[in-house]
Amino acid sequence: MKEIVFDQVCKSYDQNQVVKKLNMKIKAGERLILLGPSGCGKSTTLRMLAGLEDITSGDLYMGGRRVNDVESGDRNVSMVFQNYALYPHMSVRDNISYALKVNRFPANEIAERTSEAIKMLDLVGLEERKPKELSGGQRQRVALARAIVKRSDYFLLDEPLSNLDAQLRAHARKELVKIHEKYHQTMIYVTHDQTEAMTVGQKIALMDKGVLQAFDTPKKIYNKPANVFTARFIGSPPMNVVEAAYEDGKIFIDGKKMKVPDAWCKVIKKQNKIYFGIRPEDICLSRKGNDKDYSVKAVVRYVEDYGDKYGVYFQINGVEMLALSDGDVPTPGETVHFEPNFDKVHFFDGETQKNLGYPKEK
Amino acid sequence: MRINMKQMGIHILLGLIALVLLFPILFAFVNSFKTFEEATNHIWRIIPIKPTLENYKYVFSALPFVKITWNTFIIAAIVTIFKSVTSILAAYAFVFFDFKGKRGVYFLLISTMFIPFTVTMIPNYITISQLGLNDNIMGVALPQFADALGIFLLRQSMRTIPRSLVEVAKIEKIGHARVMKDIIVPIIKPSVVSTGIIFFINSWNEYVWPVLILKSKDNYTLSLALQMFISAEGGTDFTVAMAVSVITMMVPLLMYIIFQRYIINTFALSGVK
Repeated sequence: MKEIVFDQVCKSYDQNQVVKKLNMKIKAGERLILLGPSGCGKSTTLRMLAGLEDITSGDLYMGGRRVNDVESGDRNVSMVFQNYALYPHMSVRDNISYALKVNRFPANEIAERTSEAIKMLDLVGLEERKPKELSGGQRQRVALARAIVKRSDYFLLDEPLSNLDAQLRAHARKELVKIHEKYHQTMIYVTHDQTEAMTVGQKIALMDKGVLQAFDTPKKIYNKPANVFTARFIGSPPMNVVEAAYEDGKIFIDGKKMKVPDAWCKVIKKQNKIYFGIRPEDICLSRKGNDKDYSVKAVVRYVEDYGDKYGVYFQINGVEMLALSDGDVPTPGETVHFEPNFDKVHFFDGETQKNLGYPKEK
Repeated sequence: MRINMKQMGIHILLGLIALVLLFPILFAFVNSFKTFEEATNHIWRIIPIKPTLENYKYVFSALPFVKITWNTFIIAAIVTIFKSVTSILAAYAFVFFDFKGKRGVYFLLISTMFIPFTVTMIPNYITISQLGLNDNIMGVALPQFADALGIFLLRQSMRTIPRSLVEVAKIEKIGHARVMKDIIVPIIKPSVVSTGIIFFINSWNEYVWPVLILKSKDNYTLSLALQMFISAEGGTDFTVAMAVSVITMMVPLLMYIIFQRYIINTFALSGVK
């Protein structure tokens, strides 16, 4: 089985630890996204998989074999680099077939694999061109073609779409999924773009400062974020996560009191300092206040027009939050009632920032 | 308008400098076709009154000139090939390998560029003598098989190559020798060519080291032959010396003219102008 296991893997450069005790199991044939802000250690993790970086401590297993000391070329991986790393002096065809030739594949097989990749990635007619005569999207496809002709067990991609414009990116995302569905390699994909992560990934590993923050399906990561970092990182616009105090079935946001349904009280228990999280689309700002106990007064600061929606920035005392609204928009300066949808709120521990969980029925 | 005036001034200055630099070449070329008599009477005349090839004929009869040219060529060729190979290998290691003390080793190596020849002359001479390579063209070539300038220049051009090109090859199980031959050298070909020409011309023009090593006229290089004609042994006929000069500079000059674009690019790239 071509699964990948990280067991307490650490990576340091001198005193600087960039990956900290990473434990992660990637199933064979899975599409995993390594997601996180820049400098979070995701690219280093990928490069350790590729054998381009040594592992400082811990064990890395690929297909059941410990690969800490296995040379890059013996790991049966292929990789697409962010800058594509095409050989500038070789034609498209040579770029794709070069490694096969060096590794002495039979000529008919080289020809067959190369032409299949050329067709699949829509490079027909460009075979004799040099990389500098290609557009960004075409170069990216050549890099993909070069990676797939190897038919390796592991397919690694380091921000492969970040140099493309938005339209091409959407198209390339679909193409990547198509390729994966055809070859079913174990695919590890590094990106800082959460749209890419949500659409391409079957699983997402979210990293921050070298630490794995969340490891789950895109849906779960979005709906039940494991901690404050995950909650804030996933989703656009990001979730509002604010400090609050909890006491006797009520939370206090910057001193302002709001009742919390009983089901939640069981989850929060005796916490004092907590974090309260809610996505902008799950907030209702009403003029009247439907249920005054379960809402709190807020003042609208300013309104952004997104075309199909409005973003309403409001304040509860000194705490600013954002709500999305599609109709009846309050005007700046107006006092409204902040009514969270309590089916979609999140509470996090005030110290560890971990998710406190959800009421049973949810 | 002021910029134009400034540029014109610079161009006039450059033109004057070029003239000063070109003058000895023109002088040698013109006088090599004059008879000794004409040269002494009309040394500044640009077009000879009675052009003659006598000087060249004399040079070829007085010394085994074909052999000497061949010696010079062989030494320069061997030096160029070996120095290019060692420079490529070292530069590749300095750019694409990570090892402890890399910077230190590199700067130590580069600092050897500033050691005057006179310092290494005697140790090198002793080594070559012990190897029994005295009066042997290999003795001239051997100490020049590696030097810092080539490593420096090629490292500068290799640094412009993204590391990922080498990494992708590593993942594809392509060995370093193959990567160098198929990927790195083709990409930096202009730099390899121009450093090669610099090596060739330097070796071609070398004088002090061959003078120490080579004894018999059969093993002479062109610069030694030239010296002979300028000094007492060859006589005081300077038109003959001019003919030897012209022969000596012909090959490097031609090479420079053919490859000048590469040479200028390499130096512009490395920031050494």
